[in-house]
Amino acid sequence: MEYLLPTLREKREVDSLIRDTIDKVLVLRFGLSSDSVCLQLDDVLYKSAKDVSRFATVALVDVDSPEIQVYLKYFDITFVPSTIFFFNAHHMKMDSGSADHTKWIGTFQKKQDFVDVVEAIYRGAMKGKLIVSCPLPPERIPKFELLYKNV
Amino acid sequence: MNHEIMKKKKKKNDNGEEQQFEFCEVCKLNHNQGRRHIYFPAHKSSLSALLTRLQSKLSDVKPFLKTPMLLPAEHAQQNRLWCVFCNRDVIELDTPFACGKAIEHLASGEHYKRVKGFLWKHGGGTHRADSFRVVEGDFKKWEKKCKAMKTEAAKAEAVGASNNIHNELNADYLNSFHENNTNSLDFNITNGVVVPLQSYTNEKVQVSCSVPYSASEAGSTSYDMRGRMQMVDAQCLKNSTGFMDNHLSSSSHVDYLSNGSQVQPGVKVFHGDSRSLNSMNLQKISYSSKEAIGGNVHTGATPPWFNSAEENEIMQKPELSNFVNSKAGKSSKLNPKRVGAAWAERRKLELELERRGEVITKDYDANWLPNFGGVWQSGTRRKSRKEFQVENKKSLEFDSQSESFVPLQPYISKRMRRDKSE
Repeated sequence: MEYLLPTLREKREVDSLIRDTIDKVLVLRFGLSSDSVCLQLDDVLYKSAKDVSRFATVALVDVDSPEIQVYLKYFDITFVPSTIFFFNAHHMKMDSGSADHTKWIGTFQKKQDFVDVVEAIYRGAMKGKLIVSCPLPPERIPKFELLYKNV
Repeated sequence: MNHEIMKKKKKKNDNGEEQQFEFCEVCKLNHNQGRRHIYFPAHKSSLSALLTRLQSKLSDVKPFLKTPMLLPAEHAQQNRLWCVFCNRDVIELDTPFACGKAIEHLASGEHYKRVKGFLWKHGGGTHRADSFRVVEGDFKKWEKKCKAMKTEAAKAEAVGASNNIHNELNADYLNSFHENNTNSLDFNITNGVVVPLQSYTNEKVQVSCSVPYSASEAGSTSYDMRGRMQMVDAQCLKNSTGFMDNHLSSSSHVDYLSNGSQVQPGVKVFHGDSRSLNSMNLQKISYSSKEAIGGNVHTGATPPWFNSAEENEIMQKPELSNFVNSKAGKSSKLNPKRVGAAWAERRKLELELERRGEVITKDYDANWLPNFGGVWQSGTRRKSRKEFQVENKKSLEFDSQSESFVPLQPYISKRMRRDKSE
């Protein structure tokens, strides 16, 4: 999917994208291009990227790249794909009913789900909120087990 | 007879809902009305719409039945007919004649059966079946005409002719064609199906041209002329004619090359084109000299709408607030309370300055990390970032220190060392 959405492999690329996306939501997908769930998510992202292009930018980050490892530690990424939302270089949290509010883990069932999530984040960010609640019903949110220090 | 059928159905099941759901292809919906459905007005109207659409397509094909025309392969690809009764496309492959495959399909027995079945099933009136097919007599006549054309073309190939004379003939007939056709512009393309050329004179001229590539040339020029008729109607000037020129040149060029004839004929045809263009009554827009001085797309000048915008910008002071105002469309001021507003404003300033040439390349620290709220975080986000950086540094130090460690050695007791040294 690298040829469809901008794929970032270097830290400075990620940094510059985070810094330069102003007044728009930045959707960063951390994942592998070989994972099937990632591919499905990439498909959803690619198809909806144009629809949300007025208020969001979508980019993919390759988790295998050596420079990105520091981000994996910083963002505490263990499951792939993980999607992190930024607005004006500030990280946006979303409460989707799971334990981890800092990122979206897994894929979206429909393109509309993704658009709804990004819209919720945008609305919250424009109002000045750093955390928003997820507009999707719980059955459409992918579930996962969160380990704390491998407990 | 219909009443009897309906009565029988009613006796079998009083309740209409007991019948199975069927899909009506005409209305494109599922219903459980059984045979009653075809008499409902909604179905009747959609059926009549479908059949009229089909009739219009068939009427485009019918003239070719009367006068078979030769069609080059490139244009054949664009002609296809969707047969509603057989639910398949009829593509023009392997036939030199226009709508050849379509006519063959319409004349076939299978198609006729399907037409009758369709009309019975959807209540169109089985007596109308003949209007959707080609009767055998007509089909045979068409076949004969095709054969005749083929033999004539074969004869024509045997006779050679010089290129110059041929091109003069072509140019002449192009001119005369235009004059003849100013009256008959009613036959315009509707569905993209091949439109027949009316005048028999053309056909004769084409056939009697006696040139090796008469078949392809005739086809391509006829296509070209048809296109030109449209253009005269629509009054699209240079662009479309330019396109047609390219198209004609490419198709004719391919023909020439494939026939292995010289390159010169291709060049000559261009002349023929330009001559015919001049002879057509195209409207000329005479532009004033001012525009020529100002420059145009080809000289790379800026478009006029940019010029006025630049003037405005230069006149105003380059303040950031003005800049923001001119940029944002709906809301002149974005919510100042939004997330990261301060950062956004600062960053916009920086980008604006960079854009204007005062390059302030702030080389950000390679270790810059964005503001991130950790998962198991307590405290502010700045704290989480610092904590992470501290942890990072510690781990880095630890790594570097471990390298300077003395390599591990097995423990040798004092006694053994003493023994060794002695």
